[in-house]
Amino acid sequence: MNGGHEETLDTIALLALGALPADKGRDLAGHARDCAECRAEYTKLRVAADAVAFSAELRVGELDELSSARLKARVMNAVRANGAAVPGPASSGQAITAAAAAPRLLRSRTAWIPYVLAAAAVVIAILTSVNFAALRSQRDRYEQQVAELQSQFYLQSARESVTVRQLAALTAPGSKHFAVPSGDIVTSGGHVYLALRLTQPAPGKVYQAWTLRAGAKAVTPSVTFAPEPGGIAFVELPESAKGLAAVAVSVEPVGGSKAPTSTPAFVRSLS
Amino acid sequence: MVGVRERDVAAFEAIYDSYHRLVYGIALKMLQDTMAAEDLTQAVFLKVWSAPDTFAGGNFAAWISRVARNRALDMLRSRSLRAEGEMPLDVPLDEALHDTVFAMIDGDCVRNALANLPDEQRQPIELGFFGGITHEEIARRTETPLGTVKTRIRAGLRKLRSALETSVVR
Repeated sequence: MNGGHEETLDTIALLALGALPADKGRDLAGHARDCAECRAEYTKLRVAADAVAFSAELRVGELDELSSARLKARVMNAVRANGAAVPGPASSGQAITAAAAAPRLLRSRTAWIPYVLAAAAVVIAILTSVNFAALRSQRDRYEQQVAELQSQFYLQSARESVTVRQLAALTAPGSKHFAVPSGDIVTSGGHVYLALRLTQPAPGKVYQAWTLRAGAKAVTPSVTFAPEPGGIAFVELPESAKGLAAVAVSVEPVGGSKAPTSTPAFVRSLS
Repeated sequence: MVGVRERDVAAFEAIYDSYHRLVYGIALKMLQDTMAAEDLTQAVFLKVWSAPDTFAGGNFAAWISRVARNRALDMLRSRSLRAEGEMPLDVPLDEALHDTVFAMIDGDCVRNALANLPDEQRQPIELGFFGGITHEEIARRTETPLGTVKTRIRAGLRKLRSALETSVVR
């Protein structure tokens, strides 16, 4: 095995862990499909990577009883409201039996009537069953759509909770605000936030943040982002505020750059 | 999941009872916010109910934890538009051990195995998995060369797998 491929196998570990950017992950997954050695390594390491999730599993009783009951009630109520199974309609066999038990008194005079009624009942039962099945299928589809919408609603709700937490960080005692032409850079609790009002970048372009650590000679690429449709960009940088000397933002091609390729919109010292 | 596909609430409830501590735990660890974690848990289980066919087979615990992690990543990404990786949901794993391991491990078992890794291996694995950041960012945060980060993550995952195999065999 050559050194180059050994490095690829190291990168396979990142793919298994989910720590590769999406584009690099796709490229490597393409390679792994054709390379037995990489595929085998990926399979081995995915077991371990998947297992990491289990370390977050709460122990029994770790989630307090009240919260646990409330959460379960929320989920189960939503599910019950979204299409639990219901008993089906009376079977066509039952319908036939009911029809066959019909007017015995007439049988002597018009013996054919029960047969006609029975036949009609069969037809009605079949039509009803078909119609019921179609309605049930339609109802299931609607219920699944409602459940999907509810799922999206709760995700949105979760996002808002995160936003509230970030807003709390912005206004926390000890937070520092550094004004820039388009908004503020805020450091709070060791985190760095950009709260900016920006124009939408041209197609194929995004904004990219850059950080300069104290004593460093060159900036380091940070996250890429685009403002919300209203022009607001609220971004938490992954870098720690500790030891950060300056933050800059420039417009870069989608995917980001390793070094700024355009004049920064601003460069702000954090001292 | 057969019962859930047939819209059986009792079957769904059994799944919820078995996996809610896992889903909520992942959400809480990644989002660091109880309200957001509850909402995400509800979203994940409603997804299970509304689209049971998205589970294509294999180990359910591994699948639902990937769904929870990816949804939490979506949420983190929606705030910062970071370019983190995602755990693919559709990569087939043709190894029986995968199912065997997941059928027999629990949170304590994995926590012990992770705790036994050297810090230099455990830390980048946890940052990558729960922090939802790329290896480049891990390198920056831990002030470690990129190549070293890759090597340590691979070595750590191999040790973790070996430890889990041992605990399953035991």
